Amino acid sequence: MTPPTPPIPPAPPASAPGGQAADAEKRASFEREALVHLDSLYRVALRLTGNAAEADDLVQETMLKAYRAWHQFERGTNAKGWLLTILRHAFINEYRRRTRHPETVDIDAIEPFSVFQEVQDDDPQGTFFDRIVDDEVLRAIDTLPEQFRETVVLSDVEGMSYEEIARVLEVPVGTVKSRLFRARRMLQQKLYDYAVGMGYIKGTSK
Amino acid sequence: MNCRECKEHLFEYLDRELTPQIETEIRRHLVECPPCGEEFDFDKLFLQFLQARCRAQGAPLELKRRILNELFDE
Repeated sequence: MTPPTPPIPPAPPASAPGGQAADAEKRASFEREALVHLDSLYRVALRLTGNAAEADDLVQETMLKAYRAWHQFERGTNAKGWLLTILRHAFINEYRRRTRHPETVDIDAIEPFSVFQEVQDDDPQGTFFDRIVDDEVLRAIDTLPEQFRETVVLSDVEGMSYEEIARVLEVPVGTVKSRLFRARRMLQQKLYDYAVGMGYIKGTSK
Repeated sequence: MNCRECKEHLFEYLDRELTPQIETEIRRHLVECPPCGEEFDFDKLFLQFLQARCRAQGAPLELKRRILNELFDE
């Protein structure tokens, strides 16, 4: 089965000077600098859309858009950030409308909760976390409000700097810091509650 | 640096986002103040746990194939 083919800009005439060589060079540089980030794009897409089929489509669309716009990419700059910006715009414009509703979060209304205060006597190193499996952690991330989810994914899943995250999300670095702080605290709390529920650690009466 | 100032920078410190000077001040405080040291260790271990759990997944091979086909018409 062939996936639907979106319109592709006309290829330069084969007789154009350097036409074929330029195509080969475009392909080689795209493979080298963009396609190597496929796994990252997929992980982010999966957390944004919340399902594998839509993540597939979103990543495919991102790569197509990126390939068509490849001449606009400034060589030597951060290709991963550039690709994630394209992915995020595609998600906001086309997918979010269909899948999840954007929530607006009143950041100040969220009171960060300190798990450390709860466990410092019984398990100050938080070893109970080690018993929680990958899927459960990803599920917890998926329940975060979107603004927090995307920030934590770019930071903890993709290992990007605050500056890079700020550029992709188009927010000030200070916003990245405060979202990351609250996102991680919320995540800690969710995973702690889960661990208590599973009996990995004794809960204190809250 | 006091405990409150130190904790304000907790994640920036763990993410290596601070200037060397502030980083040094925090490191000094953490040595002198065991309660803060323990709290920073807890969050450091939490981030390590979180990152280890999330980074394993990659794009399915089928998707890679689909994209190569689409891009290069192979």
